[in-house]
Amino acid sequence: MTVDTRTDVLGAPSAALVEDARSLERSRWRRPLGALTIALFAVLLPLALFWAPEDANQGPAQRIFYIHVPAAWIGFLAFFVVFVGSVLVLLKGSRRWDDIAASSAEIGTIFTTAVLITGPLWGRPVWGVYWTWDPRLTSFLMLWLIYLSYLVLRGYVPDPERRAKFSAVLGIVGFLDVPIVYLSTRWWRSEHPTQFVAEDGALPAEMLWVLLLGVATFSVFYAYLMSVRVRTTRLQEAADEELFS
Amino acid sequence: MTWLAPALSIAGKDLRLELRTRDVVASVGLFVLLVVVTASFAFPTDGEGREGVAAGVLWMAFTFAALLGMSRSMAIEKEDACLEGLLTSPAPRESIFLGKLFANLSFTFVVELVILPVFIVLLRLSPSGGIPLLLLGTFLGTFGLVTIGTLFSAMAVNTRGREAILPLLVMPVSLPLMIAAVKVSEAAFVGSWSGSTTAWLLLMLAYDALFLLVAIATFPFVMEE
Repeated sequence: MTVDTRTDVLGAPSAALVEDARSLERSRWRRPLGALTIALFAVLLPLALFWAPEDANQGPAQRIFYIHVPAAWIGFLAFFVVFVGSVLVLLKGSRRWDDIAASSAEIGTIFTTAVLITGPLWGRPVWGVYWTWDPRLTSFLMLWLIYLSYLVLRGYVPDPERRAKFSAVLGIVGFLDVPIVYLSTRWWRSEHPTQFVAEDGALPAEMLWVLLLGVATFSVFYAYLMSVRVRTTRLQEAADEELFS
Repeated sequence: MTWLAPALSIAGKDLRLELRTRDVVASVGLFVLLVVVTASFAFPTDGEGREGVAAGVLWMAFTFAALLGMSRSMAIEKEDACLEGLLTSPAPRESIFLGKLFANLSFTFVVELVILPVFIVLLRLSPSGGIPLLLLGTFLGTFGLVTIGTLFSAMAVNTRGREAILPLLVMPVSLPLMIAAVKVSEAAFVGSWSGSTTAWLLLMLAYDALFLLVAIATFPFVMEE
């Protein structure tokens, strides 16, 4: 005899929760943002691969820059959102900000993971090695470790109120650590191609346009992922509360 | 100074307990000695650049010492609801933090001061002129590590992972401090104080000051029941 444990032990989800879950499907922003993300990637990839001029020294490997740099910038943005959300959790005691901080930390970790994968793919042909202990690489690795520990901490605190406060403290400490991390790794050693854009005329106009399109694409992608993740986090919490209260 | 007296009495309680049991300093001291001996076998401690290797081994040992001591000191509070007792006492939350911080710093410094001469002898270093710099670097590095660690240990004991999660929280955010501490200790072992040594010391000072303020500001939220 089979027993459906979901309904027998825990009871069926309440009508309100089911309605909540359905409203995720109907969310006004989710579909347009998703469609726009796909459209932007469809434009970005051919431009980055074929239209942008080839770098004289680095060859085709340089083209990963149009993914690598936007992912890094939006990764930073995501961690800034974690910081703002964390401060507001402590100031207002509101769990809504915790949902935003937690979702942004997850997405930021995915983007920085992409940075840490695309970087070595470029480094191998251009520098001859996958990894060097250069300041940007080192500080990105440290940043990635900090936000991994943030996500691990969340997994270890079952009580949602407490989880919000604890992870807010780590979100604040971790972000304030960023300038010190950057300074310390810069003094330590340096060989990354710094300031691609800031040097006058160093970057041809086409390259700059594709880079900016890349940043726009990743921003919309981030907004799309946030719109989904914040909602599902809230649903998950509502379901947990219904089950365990 | 309404915060100072409760902080001192909390630190005093921890120090009295330690003087009577010698739990933390004895176990942590032995552990650090084992780390140093094991590392002496594992790493090249002769020839060119051995001061750098020695500085790295030293800070690995110090980090373990601080983490172990802080876990222990907060785990004691968790037994028999001591933490709840502290929270219901009229001491402000900030004083509880400062009291635990003083106590943790004292334990860690005692272990470090005992282990440093042993370390210098075992690794055959001769930091004759660099001893003041070595002590200064040890103080600044330990201060930042223990400040962050005291804040996070109050969080760690209230998680499912208990003390096991403390290193995961402390080590990533203290990496820049560790770079600076290793660089300063290396300069001390070599016996040369350069401009970059001053920069590293200032970086440690900035880290310590910033995170002392952040810890005092956020500790009350961590301690709410």
